Amino acid sequence: MKLLRKIDKKDADAYFRIRTTLVVIYLLIGFSASFVVVFFAEELSGFSINGFPFHYFMGAQGAVLIFIFLLFINAIINDRIDKKFGLDQGKKK
Amino acid sequence: MDTQFLVSLGLILATFGLYIGIAFYNLAKKTSDFYVAGRNVPAVFNGMAIGADWMSAASFIGMAGTVMLLGYDGLAYIMGWTGGYLLLTFLLAPQLRKSGRYTVPEFIGDRYNSSTARLIAAVATIIISFTYSIGQLSGSGVVIGRLLEVDTAIGTMIGVALIAFYSALGGMKGITWTQVAQYLVLITAYLIPVIFMSLQLTNNPLPWLSYGQIVSELQVLDVQLGISEYVVPFTEATRWQFLALMFTLMAGTAGLPHVIVRFYTVPTMKAARWSGAWALLFIGLLYLSAPAYAAFSRFILMTQVAGSSIADLPAWTTSWVNTGQLSIADANGDGILQWAELVISRDIVVMATPEIANLGVFVVGLMAAGAMAAALSTAGGLMIAISAALSQDIYYRSINPQATERKRLLVGRWSIIIATVAAGIVALDPPGAITQIVAWAFALASGTFFPALILGVWWKRANGPGVIAGMLVGLTVTLIYIFSAQYGGFTLFGIIDTGAGVFGAAAAIITIIVVSLATKAPSKETQEEVMDLRYPEEMVYRDGEVWLKETPEETKVTK
Repeated sequence: MKLLRKIDKKDADAYFRIRTTLVVIYLLIGFSASFVVVFFAEELSGFSINGFPFHYFMGAQGAVLIFIFLLFINAIINDRIDKKFGLDQGKKK
Repeated sequence: MDTQFLVSLGLILATFGLYIGIAFYNLAKKTSDFYVAGRNVPAVFNGMAIGADWMSAASFIGMAGTVMLLGYDGLAYIMGWTGGYLLLTFLLAPQLRKSGRYTVPEFIGDRYNSSTARLIAAVATIIISFTYSIGQLSGSGVVIGRLLEVDTAIGTMIGVALIAFYSALGGMKGITWTQVAQYLVLITAYLIPVIFMSLQLTNNPLPWLSYGQIVSELQVLDVQLGISEYVVPFTEATRWQFLALMFTLMAGTAGLPHVIVRFYTVPTMKAARWSGAWALLFIGLLYLSAPAYAAFSRFILMTQVAGSSIADLPAWTTSWVNTGQLSIADANGDGILQWAELVISRDIVVMATPEIANLGVFVVGLMAAGAMAAALSTAGGLMIAISAALSQDIYYRSINPQATERKRLLVGRWSIIIATVAAGIVALDPPGAITQIVAWAFALASGTFFPALILGVWWKRANGPGVIAGMLVGLTVTLIYIFSAQYGGFTLFGIIDTGAGVFGAAAAIITIIVVSLATKAPSKETQEEVMDLRYPEEMVYRDGEVWLKETPEETKVTK
């Protein structure tokens, strides 16, 4: 049986706002790592990392690593936020 | 029959036996099991299954070759196909999970409160998945063709029979665990050769760290030969094409029905986030290795194969020439094979690599088994998406609402068989390289589902007429652009067929917004449902108020 308890809408909206802000930040980082670097590929090819010119490094490794990192950070931080708001989905079922 | 044939066939059959065994063990009984696996798959394994589902013949067979032939410009595929997971996990997956629907057309139909929208979405699902599966079948044709040393078309026909049989058998529940096994097989098969090549060429077992050195050497070789340099950007395509292709692949990823359905198979929103993260980690392992493959293979071909005399080329060249995917012509008649005289299809680079690097029969066989796992697992997921669209969204909800569960399953199975055979017929003479065909499917998804889902989840004012017009416009624009760029030579800003999604998505988004604003706002219930998606699963939005769900036992435990 599910019971419903009314909560302050402000709390719920705070949750939504924090999550949305974080998502916007993550997407901006992801966008810079891919689209922005590609757009300035020629300008960024001057120096190298580990034998790769920088633009090539970002395309072949850097961007992908950043994407993976962002997804894990998101999962970890979001779990913390859930806890802070008293939501712990692990206990269900 | 040589040893290589027996070893390859043996490995393929052994892995197939494993998958079919798992599928039989989990044979789908209920309709919900057939489509979404009863929602009890842990996040790590769901991540692997998403990975297997995701990494198709295009990733496994086609991508490294594409990077090898296109150089830097091929990296659009690497970033596009991984970056899409950001859009999917951040913008769509948790909300779609909360909505609790089974298929993408079902979500669109209910969200926009329109059965026309559901039908269009079902048809779009079929078109997208069908296009995608053409790429898979032509990939399995390359593998089987090489294995039997027959023409790729004959290989494709054998692949059709295998895939039709296999997908009709299991359904989603069988497929989820089978796909975990397939992921393990395909990633092992992909990594072993590249690690060996790295050891051979650089004495370093970690290709990801060592191939930078090879890339630097390639730059020197390119300059010597006077050909366009490997790492120099925008030699094969324009900057705008690169960006458009990358956008198309990202947005398409977030709109592919057979990938999204994976996020319904997790128990909670939290699990949806973790599944996405694990999936990208598992996928990234292959995507980070593909450019290493490309660099190593190109280096070996340039230094060890090119420059040798035509009369004593390595044995592997003959078997690939037989499949029609490799051509060697001594154009200037000097008896020596020059780099420019070697024409290699981008679809065989990965498959030929273990032979090029002389890694032995076992590794070559493992590669074949891995490639088949990639083609099969994705084809399996695609066929489930097609059959769900046909039997659930079209047959059951629009044609025969009285259909029994048995009848729906039967319609589902038959639609799988018919779709596979039809896709196989097109794949006999594939209209493009594998990565290219697959990119078309992504372009179609970014022109239809991406806008419909993003706006459906984030903008409550989007309504039925808007989404109907938007999906139709997006689909039309994308299709017209692909055809006119591919066959008519028409391009804008140098953007070719594979980047078509950027136009489709833009047209669809504008259409949805304009038509929605020009017509009546959605009903209050629909708007509340969209508001509800903002909040985590424990919260329910109703009449401007938010409620928290609690179970009585839980209250006791937490006191």
